[in-house]
Amino acid sequence: MTATPVNESSVRSTDVDLITPEQPDLPGGPRLGPGSRYALISTLGYVASLAIFGVLVAVKGADPISVYHTIISSTLLNGDAVAQTALRAIPIGLAALAVAVPARAGLINVGGEGQLIMGAVAATGIGVAVGAAVPGALSWAAMCVSGALAGALWAALSGVLRTWLGASEAVTTLLLNFIANDVMLYLIYQAWKDPHGSGQPQSRPLAHVAQLPKIFGSQLNIGVLIALVVVAVTWFLLQRTGWGFQLRVVGGNTEAARRAGLRVNSLLLSSMAVGGALAGLGGALNLAGVETQLRPDITLTFGYVAFLASFLGRHQPVKVVGAALLFSAVALSGNGLQITDGLDGTIVDILLALIVAVPLIVAKYRRRAA
Amino acid sequence: MNGVEQTLIGGVSGGTAILLPALGELISERAGVINLGTEGAMLAGALGGYAITESSGVIWYGIIAGILAGAAVGLAHSWITVRRSGDQIASGLLLWFLALGVTSVFGTGYVGTAITPLSNIAIPGLHSIPWVGVILFDQNILVYAGYLLVAVIWFVFYRTRVGLILRATGERPEVVAATGGKPQLVQIVAVTIGACLGGLGGAQLSIGYVGNWFNDMTSGYGFVAVAVVLFAAWRPVRVLGGAYLFGIVLAAASVLQAHGVSVNQYLLDALPYLVTLLALAVFARRGRSETPEALTQSLSRSG
Repeated sequence: MTATPVNESSVRSTDVDLITPEQPDLPGGPRLGPGSRYALISTLGYVASLAIFGVLVAVKGADPISVYHTIISSTLLNGDAVAQTALRAIPIGLAALAVAVPARAGLINVGGEGQLIMGAVAATGIGVAVGAAVPGALSWAAMCVSGALAGALWAALSGVLRTWLGASEAVTTLLLNFIANDVMLYLIYQAWKDPHGSGQPQSRPLAHVAQLPKIFGSQLNIGVLIALVVVAVTWFLLQRTGWGFQLRVVGGNTEAARRAGLRVNSLLLSSMAVGGALAGLGGALNLAGVETQLRPDITLTFGYVAFLASFLGRHQPVKVVGAALLFSAVALSGNGLQITDGLDGTIVDILLALIVAVPLIVAKYRRRAA
Repeated sequence: MNGVEQTLIGGVSGGTAILLPALGELISERAGVINLGTEGAMLAGALGGYAITESSGVIWYGIIAGILAGAAVGLAHSWITVRRSGDQIASGLLLWFLALGVTSVFGTGYVGTAITPLSNIAIPGLHSIPWVGVILFDQNILVYAGYLLVAVIWFVFYRTRVGLILRATGERPEVVAATGGKPQLVQIVAVTIGACLGGLGGAQLSIGYVGNWFNDMTSGYGFVAVAVVLFAAWRPVRVLGGAYLFGIVLAAASVLQAHGVSVNQYLLDALPYLVTLLALAVFARRGRSETPEALTQSLSRSG
């Protein structure tokens, strides 16, 4: 084992830049700059990930070619499939932005799952209570706002624990996911259980007028448009406002930010709350547009997939949304693999993990290229 | 046997499934690496241990398989985070995902089967101490391994050179390097040993405690183990206390139900996580100054 004498993290910022530009290319080999070296190595990494997954499905007795064909055809090759991918990308994408916003300030929000759940819970509560009595647009607005508020409060809880008591938000957001899930289970098994649900653990369904309407007879609903607007607003907030800039200052060097007179704690707290609101909205849109009633497993680990998506997109809004679309397709393809190739649907978790492993493993090359 | 006794017996036994991974996480974090993959190591250990015990019929092989399954997760995490300097939180979560996928794909055949869990061994003499004996000294071998490990880890941390180097690596890796040590090697070994204990904790759950396997059977215990290390301020004996606290809350929930006390089941399910969160809130401030310095960067990048 060739452990280098100095820990990597301690040299990352300074020494690496001095050492690497002089790295010689192999004699006769192509001359690659650090940038293209990084691109080449990541591409090879993704190919290797797909190959490893292919070997795995072969071990489970499926044909890798057919498996990849299923993944593509069940998510991309016809209008309905694309619509399903896009719809699923709403909760994943918004929960991924819920990771990206606090990440700007250096906070680690692993609570997307719980924030999605609380958003869906609040939207169900409001939607079932008033959905049949008021015009559609009013109940959609009420569900979105209540979902966002619930998500914001849930995330702010971790923010408060962090800023006031110094408890690591990475851990408290994780624990709150399990508590949120128990809250939801309590509601659908007991308090909100549908009396006409033939014993199924689920809430009463939303009234038809309260469900998000489809766009021009396609499978897409107006949730897609709402989500796109919110993504644009988030991008603007992060890239073009003082608040977004201050978050980056806090994330870059907290001590410097504090000395420069920034109100660090309220910035940290607001970044968590805004993040939580995004995820809560994602949960609400998923409920009002796709699920239409609360049931167990409504989030299907979307919140954790979202964390990985935000990481893959390096917490930059546009890239994060791209990664969320990709992961939405991969997560969705689990159904197809189960039906067409006789595989356990959760096998796609492995594919997700293999994809995210690549940027982690090649991180060194990216730092050299930067 | 009254309810309190039952709760404490169950608390020590169930708490061991948190204690072992938490001790593993402690070793890893003292070397400066946080491992959320502990949840994944537990899952891998739970299935590995169960599958081997079920097919070979020898529970010892199962225990070894559980440890090895955990080691695989640990090696992957240490390679990504130490050798490739990948993000520790992201690496841990992706390894959890990987373990979730792998165990559910390869574990389907074992769902619905059962084995005889590890039998209890009453320690001669000690187990007849009134009250305490039944609770602490009539348990399975992995529970005793937990007691022993707390003592061994305390001794190694605070009374040996190896422990000093480990703790120094978690504080100032560059100082260890400057004095001729190999901080990366220390971290790789620490993370891997830590994950072995995670795997053993998973095995305690599947072959020590319940005697069967089901998907996602660790249900966040690995994350609780990480939280326990935090509110225990990275001290071995406090980790023991925290893990048993979790075990006792868990056991109390089922004892209350068995005695027909009508407490809301979902509140009971959430209780262990709530208690952990509360403990974290109460003790976080005090433990903050004791955070291994190399860890602060990945645990929370600002503040």
